[in-house]
Order: sequence, then structure tokens, then C-alpha cells
Amino acid sequence: MRKILILHSSDNVAVCLSEIGNGEVIEQDGKKFSALESIPRGHKIAIANIELNEGIIKYGERMGHAISRITAGSHVHVHNVLGDRLSSGEV
Amino acid sequence: MNNSPLKAYLRPNGSWGLRNHILVLPLHSALSSSARAIEEASQGAVAITHDWSGEIDADLERIVSTLAGFASNPNNFATIFVTLDSPNERRIIERAKLLGLSNFVHLSLADVGSMHKLVDVGTREADQLIARALLQDRIPAPWSAIVLGLECGGSDALSGITANPALGVASDMLVDLGATSILAETTEILGAEHLLAARAITPEVGVEIVNTVLRYESSINYEGIDLRGAQPSRGNIEGGLSTLEEKSLGAAKKAGNALFTGVLEYAEVPAVPGLFFMDTPGHDIEQLTGFAAGHVNIVVFTSGRGTPTGSATMPVIKVATNTPMATSLKDLIDLNAGTIADGVESLSEVGNRIFNEIVAVANGKETKAERGGHHEFSLSRLYN
Amino acid sequence: MKIEGFDHGSRGLGVRNYQLILPSVVCSTHISRRIANAVNAVTFSHQHGCGIIGADVAGIGDFFASLADHPNVSSVLIISLGCETIQGQELAEKLVAKNVSTKYQIIQDSGGVEATVTAGTASARSLQDSYPAKRIQLKDFRVGIDAPSNSAIIRDLIGALRALNIQTDLVSGKSPADSFSHLMEKKVHLILSFPTGDQPASGFPLIPVINIASESALHQAISADFDLPAETTVVNIVKLIFEVANGQETIAETNKSGEILAPRLVRST
Repeated sequence: MRKILILHSSDNVAVCLSEIGNGEVIEQDGKKFSALESIPRGHKIAIANIELNEGIIKYGERMGHAISRITAGSHVHVHNVLGDRLSSGEV
Repeated sequence: MNNSPLKAYLRPNGSWGLRNHILVLPLHSALSSSARAIEEASQGAVAITHDWSGEIDADLERIVSTLAGFASNPNNFATIFVTLDSPNERRIIERAKLLGLSNFVHLSLADVGSMHKLVDVGTREADQLIARALLQDRIPAPWSAIVLGLECGGSDALSGITANPALGVASDMLVDLGATSILAETTEILGAEHLLAARAITPEVGVEIVNTVLRYESSINYEGIDLRGAQPSRGNIEGGLSTLEEKSLGAAKKAGNALFTGVLEYAEVPAVPGLFFMDTPGHDIEQLTGFAAGHVNIVVFTSGRGTPTGSATMPVIKVATNTPMATSLKDLIDLNAGTIADGVESLSEVGNRIFNEIVAVANGKETKAERGGHHEFSLSRLYN
Repeated sequence: MKIEGFDHGSRGLGVRNYQLILPSVVCSTHISRRIANAVNAVTFSHQHGCGIIGADVAGIGDFFASLADHPNVSSVLIISLGCETIQGQELAEKLVAKNVSTKYQIIQDSGGVEATVTAGTASARSLQDSYPAKRIQLKDFRVGIDAPSNSAIIRDLIGALRALNIQTDLVSGKSPADSFSHLMEKKVHLILSFPTGDQPASGFPLIPVINIASESALHQAISADFDLPAETTVVNIVKLIFEVANGQETIAETNKSGEILAPRLVRST
């Protein structure tokens, strides 16, 4: 049973298919790490270390950037991520 | 010639029908009831209802191209126009002929004499055309016969994780084989337009994608509504979506990772195979109608909450994003992608199941929406 | 001249006794039609209820509420999908406060298409049983007039109707369907339509419409669709008004013709 869903080979985040408990070990698709906090179903977990301002890659595409350093196993959401396009003006 | 397993109806202009419908198309709203009566009385004609009473305003050309495109969709063996024989109605018929319609009957209320007679005459015409259509056989068709519409409606937090990316796998497979696939719903790609633009085959197509979104935003902003402000919504954030790009990518992933060959206006027919983006609203039925008018002949429609809607001309395959809904609403769901979220199937496994379902339906398998007799239709107006 | 009407409680007195199956969104229109056909009720196809923003959200909601509150309506069953903008349940709760003969059914909560048709048909029948037709003499008879211009016959007609203390509303819409929706919102019991020469005779699902022909070539060619010819008189019109108000079907009613045009201001998102 897969616990997380990696949507593209170059992604640095994965989606939790069920609630992941704090400290739960995830070993899947050639990766092994443990969750640093509990993460709700449908939310994202870091599957690699992500530096400040580094792109958050999902579906093989950049969906925003880190606004603090994120270590593998952390919950990735609005508290540590921001979209690249704040206003419609930028093209 | 890649040997595809497809068998379809070859039309005189070289396009392919995956169905062989007799369409009863009223060109005035007051004739919709007669069209419905003909559908009911006939041996299997299909009809639609709409609310255009011949008004001449800024939306006239959009309506003319929609009705003409719908009439000439390659899934129609023939179209019966039910009209008042006005100049704009005749223009719609001429446009449909230019778009490839060859078999048609034009019933004018004035010639027939009354709405009641219209139903009798229309039913007789429909049954004769149905008999002729039965004589036409499907013949081997290339992969380029498929013109696939990608749609999502009633989305939930899992849409961007299960059904949409899985559909993207099937769409990429078909585009590689030489078919056509069309992504739409301009409101859904808001915030990801620059990412899609980066996948255009030429810089010009990329600029067209971005301009289509900016044009859409300005058509909405006059209402003082900034769609970017409310996205992702509170519900989306609770569901796990963190940025506008992430939400829009969840919808855009219905189109997989293939490159975009071009951008289509609403109801525009693509001239070559490949992956396209069509400027349509997110409104489920205005989008389906724009697809049909753009000569899409099969649609895959992903949904989280479930919807029974379909089209008079196009088979619409419903893919559920989650197993609970696929189970509780069995008679309106064709295929469940929720197994991805259950950790039971992978994206590519479900993608291949969707691909196989598209081939089966293209070859004649009936969808739940067709069995339920769902022929929803909706003209799209901009009101500016 | 007396008119034998129907007592519809808080909706008022009507000249028809229609049950309305009201789809709160385009996605439930087909199921609504299947239920309406099964129980001989009235419904209509439309493309609204979802993907609407700005002024349209209240506009469409109010329009559906006025349909459900029309005096010719005996009871209302709202069919909702479940995720649309105009929530069927919210619409129903607002209406039940005014008209107790109102129920709703949600497709996404009913187990799918066939289960909704079965449950909806049973619900509609139970409404019909709970609210059987109750005859009563009509008071405050209100006639709507859809006419392009204030021509001589219209002025004389309004004068004659006022003399019989019948209230009248005159509307000149973009099309007959446009006029009919506005007249419905004014709660007219019956409509006299003088379509322009290029428009056909048409009806409105909830309100009997008497169509009077013009001299146009189209109207002469389809004279069978008109209740009265172009050269009719005010006396003939008034006579037919009372016959129709007392139950005689108009030609548009027999043909079941006419769609309901909902007022939109803003494009769909």
C-alpha cells in the first residue's frame, strides 16, 4: 500500500494518501525517510531538503518557492511556501 | 500507417465520426419544444434545447459559430435544422456546410405550416435518415480520427492528484500516436499560464496562451472581481492546496506533459492534430458545447463530486477522482481513478485504463451519460 | 364574468394548477424533465445555477424563487446536483418559509440518476396528494401583455380590461421569451402575446399564453399556431381571455412550446 504519491520523477514534494503520523517511516519508490510532524491526507510532504527560495516542484513543474529552509519529511504548505505569481501583472 | 484498433464513420470531408447521430437542431428557442418532440417520437434522433430567439447583439457571431460547429460535428450522420428561415439562420446553415456538413434537411416552420405539423414532418425525416445511417458501416480509422476533449467539473482536493494527472497519461499517449487532444477552461489555468506557455511548440503559441488568460481576466475584472484574490479558496487550502499555481496545475495536468501545438478560440475547429488549448469558460456545459462545436468527437470528464451531464453529439466518459463517490454514484461514473488515492493503483496503470476506455467508447461502447439520455447544451455569451 | 381559479395558499389564487419541478442548476435539468414527465408536472431546460458570479448569483436565485412563488403553481420540487452555486437546499429552505408545499432532492446525496428519479417522482406525487386542487373564485385577475408598441388595439384592450377591473402589465422585451419572464415576475395569471412579424407564436411553461398574429408573411404562413388572427377585435380577445382563464388550453399550451429565459448580466466563469 503506497502512503505517498510522487507525481513526477523530478518532484521534491509528494502528496500524502492518508494521514501521516509524526515520526512515521516512509519507504517507497526508492526513497526512505521519516515524517518530522503529522501531515493530513491530501497535504504535501518534502521528499528532499529544499533551500530558502528554492522552487517547490510538483508534477515536474514549479508551483512556488520555499520561504524558509525545508528538511525532508516536513509538512509543506502555506506556512513555508509562497506562489511565484502574486499578482496577475507579471507575465 | 500506425495500425490503430479504431473503426469509425468516414465523413465526406475526411473527418471521422465515432457516432452516427441524426441531430435535430432548432435555430430558434421557441422551436426547441418541437425538436424535443421529434427526438421523442423518432427511432433514435437526438435533439437539444437553447435560449436564442434570434437576438442581434455582441454575442451573435459567437452563437452563429457555436450552432454551425455543433451542426457539423463529425459524430452527426445528418442534421435536421428546424428554423424560421431568417437570414441569420440561413447563415448558420451555410457556415455548417463550410465546416463539412453534407447530409442535412432544412425544415422551415413557414413551409411546414404549424408547430404540430413540424413534429410529424420532422419525425418522418428523422426516421428516414436513421434508416440511411444504419446502412453506413464503421471502417478502419487512424489514430488521428480521435479528437479528445479534456474536462473537469465538480472538482475536489483529489482531482489534481488522481483523475486529472491519470487523464494526462492517456492524453499524452494519444497525442504521441497522432490524435488531437484539447484542454480548456481558461479560469482553471489562471496562475499557471506561464508554465503552460513554457510547453508551447513556438514562442508565439506561448504568448497566445498567456494573452488568452489575461483577456479572460479583463473580461471578468470589470465586475470588480479579482479571481486571483480568492484562489486557492479556503476549502482548497484545507484540502492541501498551497498556491494558485498548484491548484491550476492540478487542472492543467489533464493535458499531461505534451507540448501545445496551438490555441483555439471558443468553438474553433483545430486544423491539425496535436495538443491544443481552447478558450472556454469553466462552466461545464458551455465548455462541452464549445468542444462539440470545435468538432471534438469524444470527451473524458473528471469529477470529484459527480455529475450526470453529457452531450447529444459526443460520448462523455466520466472519471471519478475518489472511490467513495465512484461507488455511491455508480450509474453516472464510467471509471474510478480513486484507486490512486487508495494507494492501490499507480498513475500510469489508471492512465492506461482511461486510454483503453477511450478506445472502447470510440469503437461504440455506450457511456453512462449516453445511456441516461443526457443531451445538455448551453450557448456561451460574454454579455459585453 | 366569473373565473373559477385555484387556491394556492401563500402563493395566491391561480388560473392553472401546475406542479413545478425546478432544476436549480443545468446539471439537474434532464432528471427534472424525466420526473416532470412521470408525474405530469411542468419543468424547463436552462443553463444556469453554476459558474455564475457578481450580480448573477442573486439575480438567478431570485428568478428561480419567483418561478416557485408564482400563483399558478400548486407545489414545487427542487432538483439540485449538490455542488452548484445556487444550492437547491438553500433555495428550498428560503421558499419553504413562504410556501410550505416545497421539497428538494439532491442528486449527489441520492445515490445517482435512477435513485434520484425514483425518489423525486415519489416526492412529487406525495406533494400532489398533500395539496390537491382546491377550486375558488379568482380575485385580482392580472393579465400580462407582450406587445412591441402601444398601438391602437393595445390601448383599447387595456381600457376594456381596466373597465372589467382586470389589472394589466405591458412589457416590450427583446423577444417574447424575454417579455414572458418579466411578466412572470409581476405574477400575471395569463399573457396576451403580440409577437413581432419575425417571431413565432410561443408559450411559457407556467402561464397560459394567447398568441395574436400580425400581418407578416411568417404569421400568415403559420396561422394555425395563433389563437387569434391579425384582424381580431378587442371583444374577441376579452372573450378568449375568460375562456382560457376558466381552463381552455391555448395552442401554445397544446404544443407545450416556449422556453423560460433566465436574466443574465455577467459571463460565466
